[in-house]
Amino acid sequence: MTVPSGPASAEVPAVRCRSLGVSFGTVQALHDISLDLAAGRIHALVGQNGAGKTTLANVLGGLQAPDNGTVCIAGNQIPSGDVRAAKSAGLAMVHQHFSLPPSFTVAEALELTAARPESHSVYRRTELYRRWQNDVAEVGGTNVLATRIRDLPVETRQSLEIVRALASEARILLLDEPTALLTPAATDTLFERLRGLRDDGVTILIVLHKLREVAAVADTVSVLRDGKLVLGPSEISGVSQGQLSDAIVGPAPDTDRAIAVEAATDVEQQLLLELVRVSSRESAFEPGLASIDLTVEAREIVGIAGVEGNGQRSLVSVIAGLSAVTEGSVLLGGEEVTRAPPARRRLRGLRLVPFDRNSEGISRSAPLWLNQSALRLIGRRGQFPLISLRQYKRQASEAMDLWRVRYNTVAQPAESLSGGNVQRLVLSRELASGLEVLVAAQPTRGLDFSATNFVRSSLRGLRDAGAGVLLVSSDLDELFELSDRLLVMYGGGIVARFNAPFDRQAVGDAMTGALR
Amino acid sequence: MEQVLATTLRSAAPLVLVATAGVFAFRAGIFHLGLEGLMISGAFTTVAIGDATGSVELGILAAIGVCMALSAVYWWVIGPLGANVIIAGLGLTSIGLGGTAFALGAIFDLRGSMFTDVVLPRPVRGATSGPGVIISEHSILVWITPLIVLVAWIVLRRSRFGLRLAAVGEYPFAARSAGVNPSIVRLQALLISGALCALGGAELSVGTLRNFTENMTNGRGFIAFVAVIFGAWHPIGAALAGLFFGFADAIGIQSQINITERVPREFVLMIPFVLTIFAVWLGGLWRRRTLEAEAGYAELREPDY
Repeated sequence: MTVPSGPASAEVPAVRCRSLGVSFGTVQALHDISLDLAAGRIHALVGQNGAGKTTLANVLGGLQAPDNGTVCIAGNQIPSGDVRAAKSAGLAMVHQHFSLPPSFTVAEALELTAARPESHSVYRRTELYRRWQNDVAEVGGTNVLATRIRDLPVETRQSLEIVRALASEARILLLDEPTALLTPAATDTLFERLRGLRDDGVTILIVLHKLREVAAVADTVSVLRDGKLVLGPSEISGVSQGQLSDAIVGPAPDTDRAIAVEAATDVEQQLLLELVRVSSRESAFEPGLASIDLTVEAREIVGIAGVEGNGQRSLVSVIAGLSAVTEGSVLLGGEEVTRAPPARRRLRGLRLVPFDRNSEGISRSAPLWLNQSALRLIGRRGQFPLISLRQYKRQASEAMDLWRVRYNTVAQPAESLSGGNVQRLVLSRELASGLEVLVAAQPTRGLDFSATNFVRSSLRGLRDAGAGVLLVSSDLDELFELSDRLLVMYGGGIVARFNAPFDRQAVGDAMTGALR
Repeated sequence: MEQVLATTLRSAAPLVLVATAGVFAFRAGIFHLGLEGLMISGAFTTVAIGDATGSVELGILAAIGVCMALSAVYWWVIGPLGANVIIAGLGLTSIGLGGTAFALGAIFDLRGSMFTDVVLPRPVRGATSGPGVIISEHSILVWITPLIVLVAWIVLRRSRFGLRLAAVGEYPFAARSAGVNPSIVRLQALLISGALCALGGAELSVGTLRNFTENMTNGRGFIAFVAVIFGAWHPIGAALAGLFFGFADAIGIQSQINITERVPREFVLMIPFVLTIFAVWLGGLWRRRTLEAEAGYAELREPDY
């Protein structure tokens, strides 16, 4: 195949690293990585959760000093772990987690992270607005400059991260899982933008999870597995999907399969969850619920589709008992729980996989066993107040082993787990005995595909065992694959109901409000 | 009334200076409970060196040096050594209170207090009645305190250094990815903070009075910390809070003179503290904003995994 004539493709690689090694304690995160990335192209980096993708990106960006090995950017060796040197060599990073301080205004955040020669040590507000107005023109106009970061919608924050990276005139862009938080439409917009940048000669390294996205945007692909580079960088056209997934998963067959759910086999009730004309107050980011009717019966998965920000979060928190209902009623297994606190609903068989597993699903600083045991501890109400720590720790470690959470000790804090493992931890807690109805919000977001398959087959297993599942997702393929019925939310209400088989076009129309 | 306002300014000046010190630390993510200790060290050093050299300027310079050195030690303990910020801050306060009392005995062979002839210049003097009383007899530090607050506002809210400082306090990851070293920024914040505490202590000992007394700060460092929270760690907000606490103090002093025959003295002495508790409660209404500065604190509190 002919190499497209990027401005420097034949010359010095944009990024070259040699025998990089990084270890955290006893874990070897990166092992002898040598990699050349040709200039003016889009390079994808894929691998499972915990394969070392983020670590590699951090090393290249200067945020993490490697134990050994060297990084050259555009031919110049960069002192290890020096963010500023990497920056001045023309490299900028777009992080997996947003990297702008939430209380800063957009203008302040840009001034902090992307210095310009004309920047003085003391500034005036109007001066900042003038300086950055061109940069933000395409992410929402100049009036966005005075907005605080935390008040921006997710897509705008993501675009702003790229604006920030490009504002410092970066010629090499590292994007660490930029699509994890984006809707499919926003992902397409992002890819369009990246292609435009590539055509302007910018070199791009993008960490991705979904192979479909790799095929959509990348010129070359590299695969990391267990901290080693096992494939690439290879031209995307020369690698088949099969080769790619083999490289990602490795030679040993993946042993993950759904855990037979002991729960829910004795569900007697047919109608497990019922919302009758439920309304709620709007939140900062979302419309409130507008008179929603919804049922989840035993042995079914009900999907909730919709563009993010159309009331899905309000719906989940109303069901969970975390935000108040202004009108209507919520019933669990036929019992009215409209005003019942979350713990009562838990005892009634409600389980929850929340939107943001790191802030809502776990206590980051609490040890694993405590996170794992939380539900069992709630269930102890009215019993003898003393507990056996040893017993709880043992039960926690058994449950985590069953769900294949990778951990060292039950005493380590939950924040030390990788994203996929956190989700396994949450599942191991929520999908335990007593489950009748599960509300799963974006359960596979940000997970690699083997973890995704694992979660999906767990949900199916739950349904087959007799439970009801309410699945909220922004991944239409996932919804089509799993749901028995599909409801579309728009502006806080349910605007359309579908039964399988689903019509992609009709669902898409409903999501964008075209039915109204 | 004029007397109350004059007393307010005098009581408020040290509080405002130390509260401004607290704002610098707080914005860098440090819950600085060592303010009291730095303040009393500043007060003592000013008197000791000022008296020994006969020059109040040298005394203040020495105080600034001592407080900055103590701040650097504090930084070393909570940063590189990883000690708990709160505990180390309280330790700094204990060292300041105990150390100055000890030094008073060990160096000057005095117990309780030490008098001096040096005093800060007072630009306006002489008024004994009428509105002139309000501005009369204040030390030069009272006069330049508003200027210091203004400079603090510019540095914190309108300078690139201020942005780095706030990023370190709110979201160290953002600071690091912008190429900022959070540890160095914290040191800078603490050094500035130390210098301001020294000025607050100096105003206390040689501004209005001419002596150093054991434990003469009497909780002012903690009240200044409360002013930081109450003022939502905005330099102007904290200064206004400091002014408010100074006013509460002045009311206490005045009513002590006027109404002690009807109301027990102890209740009158409680007024500033009751107002402080009220203020803390009000400050709690801004709880959501408190979270903003906790990330930097969390980074100091817990090691990286």
